[in-house]
Amino acid sequence: MGGDAYTFKLFGLMFNWTNILSGLAVFVIVFFLLFGLSRKLTLKPTGGQNALEWFVDFTNGIVRGQMPAEYAPRYSFLGFFLFIFIFVSNQFGLILQFGWGGHELLRSPTADPVITMTLSFSIMVLTHLVGVAQNGFLKYLKGYVKPVAFLLPINLFEEFGNFLTLGLRLFGNIYAGELLLKMIAGLALPDGHLSLGVIYALPLSVIWQGFSVFIGAIQAYVFVTLTSVYISHKVAEE
Amino acid sequence: MFAQSVLAESNSLYVGDMIFYLVSLVILMLLVKKFAWGPITKMMQDRADKIANDIDSAEASRNEASKLAEQRESELQNARSEAATIVGNAKQSGESQRTQIITSAQSEAQALKENAQQDAEQAREDALKRAKDDVANLSIEIASKIIHKELSAGDQKALIDSYIEGLGKE
Repeated sequence: MGGDAYTFKLFGLMFNWTNILSGLAVFVIVFFLLFGLSRKLTLKPTGGQNALEWFVDFTNGIVRGQMPAEYAPRYSFLGFFLFIFIFVSNQFGLILQFGWGGHELLRSPTADPVITMTLSFSIMVLTHLVGVAQNGFLKYLKGYVKPVAFLLPINLFEEFGNFLTLGLRLFGNIYAGELLLKMIAGLALPDGHLSLGVIYALPLSVIWQGFSVFIGAIQAYVFVTLTSVYISHKVAEE
Repeated sequence: MFAQSVLAESNSLYVGDMIFYLVSLVILMLLVKKFAWGPITKMMQDRADKIANDIDSAEASRNEASKLAEQRESELQNARSEAATIVGNAKQSGESQRTQIITSAQSEAQALKENAQQDAEQAREDALKRAKDDVANLSIEIASKIIHKELSAGDQKALIDSYIEGLGKE
C-alpha cells in the first residue's frame, strides 16, 4: 500500500519516488502513443490515424458539449490532453504495479491525492486566469456576486468545493480501485506464498480489473467534462 | 544529492512531486501539441476543407450541367421553330412561284395564241387581197380579150357616151 514510500530531498523539496517513476512512465507512454499514432498522416485515414482522429473527435465533443461553440476550439487541446493523460494514468496502475522491499515504486499516478490535487489546482488556476483574460478583472469579480450579492460566500465556497471535488473524486475512484485489487491479490498470496485462495481470487481480480478500466475511463471523461464546465462558467457570458 | 533516501512520513506533502508534475505536464503538453495534436488537427481541418470544397464544386457543376441542359433545350426549341419557319417560307415561295409560273405560262400562251391568230388573219387578208388582185387582173385580161374581140365601133361609142354621162352626173 501507498503509505510509506521511498523519498528523497532535493533543493529542500520532498520528492516521492513512486510518483516520479510512475509519472515518468505515464509521460513516456502518452508521448509515444500519440507520436506513434500521428505518423504518416494522410487525407484518407488508415489504421492508427483513424483511432487518433476518433479520439480527437471524442474529446472535442466533450469540450463542445459544455461551452458555447465559439470558445470550444480554444480549449479542445486541453480537453484532449487531459483526457489522454488521466486515462493512461488510471489504466497504468491496473496493468503494472511494482514494489520493492514492501514499498511501491510503480502505480497509477492518479491514485495519489497529491497528484490529483495538483491537477485540480492547476485547472482551477487556469479557469480563473482565462476568466480574467476573457472578461476583464472587474467582470470576473462581478461573477462572484451573481445572481445576487449575498450569495458571495456561497460562490466562494463553490470555487473551493470545485477544486476539492475535482481532485478528490479522481483520487478516490482510482485509489479505491487499486486498493481493492491489492486486497484481492492478498487473498491469493496471504503470506507471500501462493495459496488455494487463487481459485476465487483470480476471477474476482479479472472482474474487478475490467470494472476498474471502465471506472478509469469514466473518471477521465468526468474530469475533462468538469474542466470544460468550469472554464465555460468563467468565460461565457450569462 | 539524494540527501535522505529514506521512507518518508506518509503525511508529508510532496511539494517536489507537485512541481515535477507541473513542469513535466507542461513539457509533455508542448511535445504532444507539436508532434501529435498539430498534425492531426491540421489534417482533419484539411479534410473538412476538402470535403466542403468538393461539395461546393459538385453543387456548382450540377448547376452548370442543368444550365447547359436548359440552354440546349431552348436552342433545340429555337432550331425547331426556325426549321418550321424555313419550311413554311419555302412552301410559300414555292406556291407563289408556282402561281407565277402558271400565270406567266398562261399569258405567254395567250400571247402566242393572239400572235398566231393575228398571223392567220394577216395571211388570210393577204391571200384575199392577192386573190382580189388576181381576180381584178384576170377580169381585166378577160375583159381586154373580150374587148379586143367583140368591141365594135358602135359599141365603143355607146360605152364612151355612157361613161361621159356618168361623169356628168357625178
